[in-house]
Amino acid sequence: MELIKAIINIYTTRGSWFLSLLIEHIRLTATAILIAGVLGLIIGILISERQKLATIVIGICNVCYTVPSIALFGLLIPFSGIGNKTAVIALSIYALMPMVRNTYAGITSIDTDIIEAARGMGSTNPQIMVRIKLPLAYGLILTGLRQMTVMTISMGGIASFVGAGGLGVAIYRGITIFNPAMTFAGGLLIALLAVVSDNLLGLLEKQYKRKRRMT
Amino acid sequence: MDKPVIVFEKVAKNYGETEVLSDFSLEVNRGEIITMVGRSGCGKTTALKLVNGLIKPDSGDVYVEGRRVADCDNTELRRNIGYVIQGVGLFPHMTVEKNIAYVPSLTHKKGFALANPRAERGRSQFSLKGLFSPPKIETAQLLSIVGLEPDLAGRYPSELSGGQRQRVGIARAIAAQPDILLMDEPFGAVDEITRRALQDELLRLHSELGFTILFVTHDISEALKLGTRIMVMESGRVIQVGTADEIINNPANDFVRELVGGN
Ligand SMILES: Nc1ncnc2c1ncn2[C@@H]1O[C@H](COP(=O)(O)OP(=O)(O)OP(=O)(O)O)[C@@H](O)[C@H]1O
Ligand SMILES: [Mg+2]
Repeated sequence: MELIKAIINIYTTRGSWFLSLLIEHIRLTATAILIAGVLGLIIGILISERQKLATIVIGICNVCYTVPSIALFGLLIPFSGIGNKTAVIALSIYALMPMVRNTYAGITSIDTDIIEAARGMGSTNPQIMVRIKLPLAYGLILTGLRQMTVMTISMGGIASFVGAGGLGVAIYRGITIFNPAMTFAGGLLIALLAVVSDNLLGLLEKQYKRKRRMT
Repeated sequence: MDKPVIVFEKVAKNYGETEVLSDFSLEVNRGEIITMVGRSGCGKTTALKLVNGLIKPDSGDVYVEGRRVADCDNTELRRNIGYVIQGVGLFPHMTVEKNIAYVPSLTHKKGFALANPRAERGRSQFSLKGLFSPPKIETAQLLSIVGLEPDLAGRYPSELSGGQRQRVGIARAIAAQPDILLMDEPFGAVDEITRRALQDELLRLHSELGFTILFVTHDISEALKLGTRIMVMESGRVIQVGTADEIINNPANDFVRELVGGN
């Protein structure tokens, strides 16, 4: 009860500070999501056409994914220094994996009959990709995007350890000045942001399923 | 007499050690229906895919309208050859009408109008002449040609029965008004009665529109009923090509005799 009161108190007294942290958090994670989303989609499409390359690329992605996030942030500091840049790079690397994997899986799991029909009727390779493969992979790609968005938003909380902005700043400061309410207040906003984004993307997914009559 | 539309010239095709086609030769004349029969795995689908270049021969040549398939632009070629694949292969993310309009849309053919099921309901009679007089072809017309209600235009393939799907597959293959139709067991997944109805419809379509058709089936009675000439295959070789009478009265070997035995 005490804690809840303290949290409400801190939101009212330092509202604009939290708002600026929230905006910074969104800016940071959205950048990473955008980079990883576009790059992951492109990589996923490229490797879906080349089986050998796919094994290698997905292997590399898996390895990157197993590096503990704090370690990855730390590893990047010598290269990109301290601040938002390092945070965005680290977040993007993590976010890449679900995008690549889902795009690849979505494209390669399509029934070969369908592809053969499209090719046999005179579609060019780009036409097959744009009109057949990507629309059919859309569901899985969307799932990947959703997972990756939630993950990036919560992982963004660690970004302050490498001197980046965002809600992690509140968490970190709360720890150093023994103010649990501040840590909680920061964490709560991250969780809320993640839930809201998840639901928004969930709506997209639902709309897609309804359109395809999959529900 | 016209030149043959499709020519197979001593074609051989292997997958590793296995010989799928060997010394495969055939000439198909304009307007013919050639039905291809033979056991599962004897190379029927392979022979069909040589025509639209989905499979390349190891030796020998295939010619379509006098042009060597190996030399010509396969994309262009395929757009002029209707293809009904074994297993239908409708695009699950497209409605029936989008499926049917797929090939014309690849070439941005003008005047290809999507059906508006609501507007079409009143008129169920369509003239076949209308279909081929440019510039307007409508999916609703194509649907009625293959014996489907125009109301189905907005459905997805998953909402159709097996027989309806096969009809849509046929409508999709003829939408771009090809001169040649390749049909790989197009009536596989339907009951005997529907099958007979579809066969009759195909014969009607053929007599009205005059396609040249290569038709794969493993049902000998279907082959005898539909084929201008019937081609019997065994292990990648042509055993006999001839009219129904020739096949029945003069079987080339025991395999053919056994095949037509029941008829
Ligand atoms: N991509 C491939 N790789 C290796 N072998 C293949 C390939 N495609 C076909 N085959 C083999 O070639 C032979 C002929 O296949 P094909 O599909 O032409 O047979 P089919 O006569 O159409 O049979 P069905 O009636 O069962 O459809 C079969 O033995 C098959 O296993
Ligand atoms: Mg076959």
